[in-house]
Amino acid sequence: MHEDMRALLNAYLDGELHGWRLLEVQNHLTSCESCRNELRELRAVSDLLRAAPLPEFTPAERFAANLALRLPRRPLKAQLQRGPSLTWWLAPLALMGLWFFVQTLIWLTTVLSLALSGGLLGESFSWISGSAAQSNLFAFLMNLFGGHLGTATQSTLSLLDRLVLFGNSLINQWFWQAIVALLYWLWMAVWWLRTRGRAFLPRLARA
Amino acid sequence: MALVKTVDTELGLIEQAQQGDRNAFGELVRRHYESVVHVVYRMCGEVQLAEDAAQEAFLRAWINLPSFEPRANLRNWLYRIAVNAALDVLRRKSETFVEDEETLMVSDQMPGPEETLIRKEQVELLQRALRNLPEASRSVLVLREYGELSYQEIASVLDIPIGTVMSRLNYARNRLREVLQSHAQEMENAHA
Repeated sequence: MHEDMRALLNAYLDGELHGWRLLEVQNHLTSCESCRNELRELRAVSDLLRAAPLPEFTPAERFAANLALRLPRRPLKAQLQRGPSLTWWLAPLALMGLWFFVQTLIWLTTVLSLALSGGLLGESFSWISGSAAQSNLFAFLMNLFGGHLGTATQSTLSLLDRLVLFGNSLINQWFWQAIVALLYWLWMAVWWLRTRGRAFLPRLARA
Repeated sequence: MALVKTVDTELGLIEQAQQGDRNAFGELVRRHYESVVHVVYRMCGEVQLAEDAAQEAFLRAWINLPSFEPRANLRNWLYRIAVNAALDVLRRKSETFVEDEETLMVSDQMPGPEETLIRKEQVELLQRALRNLPEASRSVLVLREYGELSYQEIASVLDIPIGTVMSRLNYARNRLREVLQSHAQEMENAHA
C-alpha cells in the first residue's frame, strides 16, 4: 500500500491524479509522514529545476534569418507529393467517365431492344436479341425432359425463368452504376480523411 | 476570441508553409523558437549546442512539414523533433564535449546571503545531475519541467505509454532527490 502510494507521488505533485486515486493519495498523506517528507523533497527538486536561470540566446529574429539561409528551396516531401496528387485528382474524373460510358451503353441497349421488339430494325439485328427471351437454364431443362413436363410445371418454370431474366436485367443495369457510385463515395471518404478527418479521428477515439 | 484568432492564424501559416512559403515558416520559427531552444538547452546544457539542436530541429520540421497534420499541436510536434535533434547533437559532440562553465554557473544576479548561496549551489548541482540522467528519463523530465507538458502530451511526443512516462519521471526525480540528499549529507559532514 505504502509503495503503491509512493509511486503516485510524482503524479500527485504534477496534478495528474483525479477522482478516487487523488482522494486515496490525499488520505494517505494525512497519515504517512514518510510520504509527506518525500513529497516535500520531490517538490523541492521540481522547484530547483525550474529556478535554474537561462542564458542569453540568439534573438528569435536573427535565428530565423540565419535559418532561412539554410532552408532547402521547398520541403522535399512537398515535391514528392506533387506527382501523386495529379493522379489523385484524376480518380473522380475517371469514375465519372466510366459512369457516362455505362449509362450510354444501357441507353443504347434499351433503344435497340425497343426497336427490335417493335420490328423497326427488321431481321438485320436479330442476332443481338437471340431467338427467345429464355435463359440457357430454362432451355436446358426443357431439352432434358423433352416435352414430358406438365402444363402447370411448365408455367411455373417459365414464370421463375422470367423472374430470373428480370433480375439479371436489373443487375446488369444497376450493378455497374452502383459500383461506380460506391467507388466515388469511397474516394470522397478518403479525400476527407486525408484533408480534415485525421484531426478529428483521435478525438473520436478518445471520446 | 483572441485565442481562436491566434489558432486560425497559426493554421493558415502552417498551411502556407506546407506549400513551401518560407516567410510563413519563418513566422512559425519566430513564434516557437523560444520554447524549443529552452527545452533543448535543458537537454544539452550548453548554449551553442542548444542553438545547433534548435536549428537542426527547425530544418527537420521544414522538410517534414508536408506530412504534419495542420490541426495537430505544432508545439508538441516541434518538441518531438527537438528532443531527438538534441540527443543527436549530444551524441555527435559527446567525444569532444566539455562542460561550458559559463552556462553551468547560476546567475550572479542573485544576491549573497548564505541561504541563497546554498540554493544557487543546489540549482547548479541539479543541472549537472540532470545532464547525467539517462536520455530517456532526461527527455521526460525536461518536457515536464521546462516544456510544461501533461503526461498524456509527453507520451504522445515521445511515442511511449503513459505508464512509461510515470516510471521514467519517478526514476528521474528520485535520482535528483538522492543527489540533493547526498550533497546535504556532505555539507553536514564538512561542517561537523
